[in-house]
Order: sequence, then structure tokens, then C-alpha cells
Amino acid sequence: MQATHSDGSAALFSGYNLAAYDEMFGPGRSPRPHYAPLYDRLNDLGPGEIEHRHKVADLTMRNQGITFTVYGRDQGVERIIPFDPIPRLVSAQEWDGIERGLKQRVRALNLFIRDIYHNRSILKDRVVPAELIFGASGYRRDCMGLRVPKDIYIHVSGIDLIRDAGGEYLVLEDNCRTPSGVSYVLKNRQVMKQVFPFLFEQYNVRPVDDYTDKLLSVLRYIAPDGCDDPTVVVLTPGMYNSAYYEHSFIARQMGVDLVEGRDLVYDRGQIFRRTTRGLERVDVVYRRLDDDFLDPLAFRPDSILGVSGLMGAYRAGNIGLANSLGTGVADDKGIYPFVPDIIKYYLGEEPILNNVETFRPLIPSHRRHILENLESLVVKAVDASGGYGMLIGPASTKAQREEFRRKIEDNPRGYIAQPTIQLSRHPTFVDGRLDGRHVDLRPFVLYGEDVFVLPGGLTRVALPEGSLVVNSSQGGGTKDTWVLHHAGGRA
Amino acid sequence: MLSRVAESLYWMGRYTERAENVARLLDIGLFIELDAELGAGEGFSPVEIALTILACRDAFPMDLGAPSRDAVLRFLTFDRSNAQSILSMIARARENARGAQEAIGVDVWSEVNRLYLFLGGTRAQKRFVRSPSGLFTSIKNSCLLLDGMIQNTLPRDEVYHFLELGRHLERLDVLCRILRAKCPILTQAVDGAEAAMQLVRWTSLLRSCSAHGPFLRSERERIEPEGVLRFLVLDSEFPRSIRYSAARCQASLQEITGGDEDYGCEAERILGRLESDLRYLDVAEIFDRGLLRFLDSLQVTCHRVGDEIQRSFFLI
Repeated sequence: MQATHSDGSAALFSGYNLAAYDEMFGPGRSPRPHYAPLYDRLNDLGPGEIEHRHKVADLTMRNQGITFTVYGRDQGVERIIPFDPIPRLVSAQEWDGIERGLKQRVRALNLFIRDIYHNRSILKDRVVPAELIFGASGYRRDCMGLRVPKDIYIHVSGIDLIRDAGGEYLVLEDNCRTPSGVSYVLKNRQVMKQVFPFLFEQYNVRPVDDYTDKLLSVLRYIAPDGCDDPTVVVLTPGMYNSAYYEHSFIARQMGVDLVEGRDLVYDRGQIFRRTTRGLERVDVVYRRLDDDFLDPLAFRPDSILGVSGLMGAYRAGNIGLANSLGTGVADDKGIYPFVPDIIKYYLGEEPILNNVETFRPLIPSHRRHILENLESLVVKAVDASGGYGMLIGPASTKAQREEFRRKIEDNPRGYIAQPTIQLSRHPTFVDGRLDGRHVDLRPFVLYGEDVFVLPGGLTRVALPEGSLVVNSSQGGGTKDTWVLHHAGGRA
Repeated sequence: MLSRVAESLYWMGRYTERAENVARLLDIGLFIELDAELGAGEGFSPVEIALTILACRDAFPMDLGAPSRDAVLRFLTFDRSNAQSILSMIARARENARGAQEAIGVDVWSEVNRLYLFLGGTRAQKRFVRSPSGLFTSIKNSCLLLDGMIQNTLPRDEVYHFLELGRHLERLDVLCRILRAKCPILTQAVDGAEAAMQLVRWTSLLRSCSAHGPFLRSERERIEPEGVLRFLVLDSEFPRSIRYSAARCQASLQEITGGDEDYGCEAERILGRLESDLRYLDVAEIFDRGLLRFLDSLQVTCHRVGDEIQRSFFLI
């Protein structure tokens, strides 16, 4: 470590451990070129100043109510997601690859969904086993033959990326239903600009502000035919949903109404919102509600969150819906191992971003491998998310491994297994100094007239030392993510 | 706009206004109590009377003996189990603001949220222990800041007018309640030393409505019952008078319904009639009719307006 700056530098990075792929430090413990200015600036600031500004950032977020709700206790407790003030940097060159890879992946997944609900040629050609589709919890038989506006299903997606020990970006998970987190991307940037303005000075950081503009264009693009000035709404499950802040933020930034199910009403094939001047027509719904809760007539009859008749209006082609129904079939963990084949099948291209190596208990040789190596693998239930329903082999107890062994033998379709990847690490402010913590990256992709990848994304960081679980429900925090322009100009 | 959001805005307006009024009431009550020893057994103390005004006397835990001043202040400021405490009202204002964030904007929302977090935290407790008046002042200032943001950042559309409607209807309602609770004592015939005490009470009534200075400037006369009542009920320029509040409610309703000459809803009709009544009423007539009867019917009118607003805009 170069401890040449001020007294602060020694303290700030003292005891910094290199492990896994370190985002900031390259070979020889020197900062990678694109991190060098940040490294210098942090040392100039020193721990005291960073600590102080960190508190200001927390207070700002708390006052603005940028919180999520933790369930478990009686009413749910509002918390802010821990915000780490050290930004994560992605060089222009790295980003080019990520961007191309994500566009390719989302286009292919979209074609896949369309095919599944129409011709099913990929099943007939035996590229993907049919029983995986029909057993997937996200598969919706009701969508068979349903035409959706502009043939777009996945209008908004968040694709989780990690970096392995060699620094290669790999896709860990696709989120094609109602991915959250983009409000934190935008808010983190605003707060960073307020609290650490000078860190930006030596960088050309690509802006993220126009996300909601772009989202609104996508939503207007999928309005029913003949609707020139569509009325768009954001549909939320309500104030007690853990992502309510995000729903409200997105509606506010787009300048559209945030509605709950009870604000909407179906009448003769159309959807209306209840206003102070009576019923007014709605053309496009950006829903942040799972398929099952959307329409109690079509799906769960006990849902009080949805709108009775919504599916009827959708079928009749009278509203646009983002994301479309039944997209869960594309981000099912059972389908995930086939995504590289899906890309080849529909686009005739090699995948630009690779998957993490994945074993499937349905294949006898894989099952043997899994059961013999439980202590070194990560096992995931295919229909769980948010870091629940997982076995992290190296951190597991014998009893937990036995439990998963039984589960896998009983229900081989229900699980996949992957080698435990030491996610890349990033300097993170903990206890008054910087230390390496594991991170992932969730970039957001919009699909409308074009496919757009927001230059940035949500960097999630596992705050407990050594932890590999970045989910906010399990002690994860977030960082601002800076995608840099190519040197010498704005791309 | 969405009925649900309109309803949230209306209640946000009402709860912040009520919270501000309670802070004002307690602040002045305490000020008077510290200044002069009021005769016990004769009505309620200026602090305690707030329990009557807010109709929460029954909710006060009497098992601890006669209510101490500190217990009453805390009950009306911090007690979450008391729906009429300042904290409870700010909590409800905040819940409503939270459901209408996209309408009010980030600054207004942050200020309500900040006030709520402050009141629920230890800093507010410490400030109360140091000086209750200091805490009430910061609550009042916070509410005024909120109103300043609303006045200076929101366009004059439905969002603004539902907030204003709630605020002014609540202002009218609270003043009615205050007068109703205090008038039986204030209008007692007194003599000697009690007369001086009565003057203090009338002054404190004016103060609890921020009306003391404006009254002195406008009436240019002594503080006596008819003048004070004329000012608080019938004055057309003082922004906390009943007539002024009724006119503001009516104006906001008119903007919401878009009605020009005809009234657009029942609430508008009732308010229009109230406003014209107050416009041509003489204070002597109020006393002739009977002050308490007059105040009671005002209260009934106020409730009817609230019910009609509910029916016309929120139950779509």
C-alpha cells in the first residue's frame, strides 16, 4: 500500500485485506488506473471527514423517507438501506461489454417468452425441456396465444451480475418480473453529488437521471393502438409494501399517478381511475404487483391488491401492461442454465456475458456431483428469491446440508447448484476505515422502441465481513455506481 | 386527481393544522399558568382545558390522581395512545403525505417526515424537558415552514386546494371548539380581583389564536368580550377568524369544482350560506341569539361540510 499522502491514508486503508477480485486494487496492491484519482481523493479526505459526510448522507435519506419495510415484527419497521459512500467505478471499456451482453440477453429472453406463449418451437426442437416450462411457477397458461403490444414482454428488467476471481462479469440471475432498486440508483447519485461533490471532479461520470424519462417513453410506446396521448399510471400494492418508496419515486419522476388497486375500476372492457371528477380512462399500467395479485377474477381470488377485470381489458387490447404477464417463465432459476442456448437459438450468436456454471439435479451425473459436494456449492430453490431458500455450502452446518440433501432427492426439479463464487470485493467504509466487502451489480434494462441499458445500476454490498449475501433483507447495503465515459469525451 | 390522493391531501391539511393549533394552545396555556395562579375549583386550568377542547378528557389516565400539568402536557404532546396528541396527529399527517408524495413533491414530504421523526425521537424529549415552550415553538415553526413550502412551491391546482380546504376547515373547527370550551368561563359576570383575571383570560384567548397584536391594531380599544368575539368570529381580514376561514374553504372548493355562479356541490352551498351569514351578522345579534347556541350551530355546520366533502369527492 502506498502510504504517501497524509496521515489519513495510513489509517484509511490500514489493514486492508486483498481477497477475491478487488475492484480497486490490481496486482502489486496499486490502484487500477481508473481508480487512481478516487484513491488519492479518499486519502486526502481521511477517515474523520468521510465518517462525517457518511452521517449527513444517512440523515438526508432518512428525512426523505428513502426507506424499505422489514417484516417479521408486528407492523414492519422502516429502515434505510445502508448506503456506503465509496463509489464503485466501471470503466468505459468494461461497460461496453456489459451493455452489449445485456441487450443481447434481454432480446433473446423476450423472443423466448413470445415463443413459449405461441409456437413453442424451442420446445419442439428440444432445446429446452417442456416439463421445465410447465412446472415453472412463473408460467401462465392464460397467456397462451395472447398478443401483447409491439410483442414486448420484458419492458423493465434487472440482470444481476457478479465478477469471478479473474474479474470476468457473469450473469447470476435474471429479474424479468418487477425488479426493484432503480430508485436507489438515482437517489444514491443525488446524495453523492450533495455530499461528495469534489469526488466527481476528476471523472466523467455518465448520468443516470434520464431513466424515468426513458421509462415513460417505453410505457407510452406500448399504449393501445389509436391512443395518441396515453394516460399512464404506476400500480403499487400500497404503502406497506417494502418497495413503496420506489413506486412513489418513479411515479413522481414521471409525473403520473401512483394508484392502488382500489383506485382503479373495470367497466365494459376498459380500466378507469377514480378521480375527484369521476371516472377517467387509463391506457397503460406499469404494475409493481406480481402476476398472482393483479386480477382476483383471473388469478388469486383472495387478492385485495389487484383490479377485478384487468385481465379482461388486457386481453381486449384496451390497456398496455408492463411488464407483461407470464414473464416469470424467463427468470425461473430452472430455466437459467438454458439461457446461453436460448441466445444461440433465437439470435444465432454466442452469448457475450456468460452464466455461472450450474448443476441440475435432474441430470443424474449432476445430481451425484451436487450431493457429493454440498459443502462447496451454493444450492438455490428455483422458485425463491431475495436470498431466501438458499444453502451456502462453505457456511453451512451438517444439519442444513442434510436438510437440502433430502429436499434435492425429493424434488430434483426444485433446485439448482452452483460453485461458491467469491464475488469481487470493493473498498467499503466500515468502523472508521476502509475494508474489502463483496459486491454484485444489478444494471437495469428498458425495452421499448429500442433496448436501453441504464449506464450504472445498483451495486449491492454484503456488509458483514466475508458475507456473500448482498440482499437488503439480509444486511446488504448499496453504493453509487459510476460508469465512466471513454477518455477524451462524452460517448 | 385520484380521489384517494385528494383525501390524503385534505387530511394532511387538517392534521398539520390541528397539530399547530394544539402546540399554540399548550404554549399559551402554560405561559398563563406560570404567570398567575388561577383560582382552583373554578373551571379548568388553561393547560387542562385543552383536554376538553380536543375531546380527549375521557382518554386521560386519571388513575394517577388529579392530572399534573406535566402529565397533561406530555399526554397531549407525545402520547401515541392518545389520538389527539401532537405526535399522533403528525404521524397521521405523515401517513397521508406518504400516500401522496408524488403530488406534494419531495420538499414538502421531507419536512413532514422530518417533523415526525423529530417528535418521535429523543431530541424532542430533551427539548421538552429543557423548556416545553421551546419545543412548542419548534413545532409551530415547522408547521409554518411546511405551509410556506406549500404556498411557494405548489401550483394552484387541485393538490393545493385540497390541502387548503383541509387546513381552513380545521382552523374554523378548532377555533369553534376553543370558543365553545372557554366562553362559559369568559362570559361569567365578575368583579374586583376576578375582573383582572378575566382580562388575562381574554388576552390569552387572543394569544392562542395569534390574534393579540392584530386585535390591538385593528380595534384600537380595550380588550372586552364583544370586541374580541367580533374580531375572532366576524373579521374579514384576520387570517384565523372564522369568517376568513369559511371564505377560504369556499374559495378552494370553488376552484376544485370549477363552479362560478352556481355552487358545484352541497358543501359549497353550506359554506356559501355560512359565509354570507357571517358577512351580515352583527356581534350584538350573536349575544342576543345566545353565544353558546350560536357556537353549537357553527360546529354542526362545520361537521356537515366535512361530511359533504367526503361524499362528493372521496367516495367515488
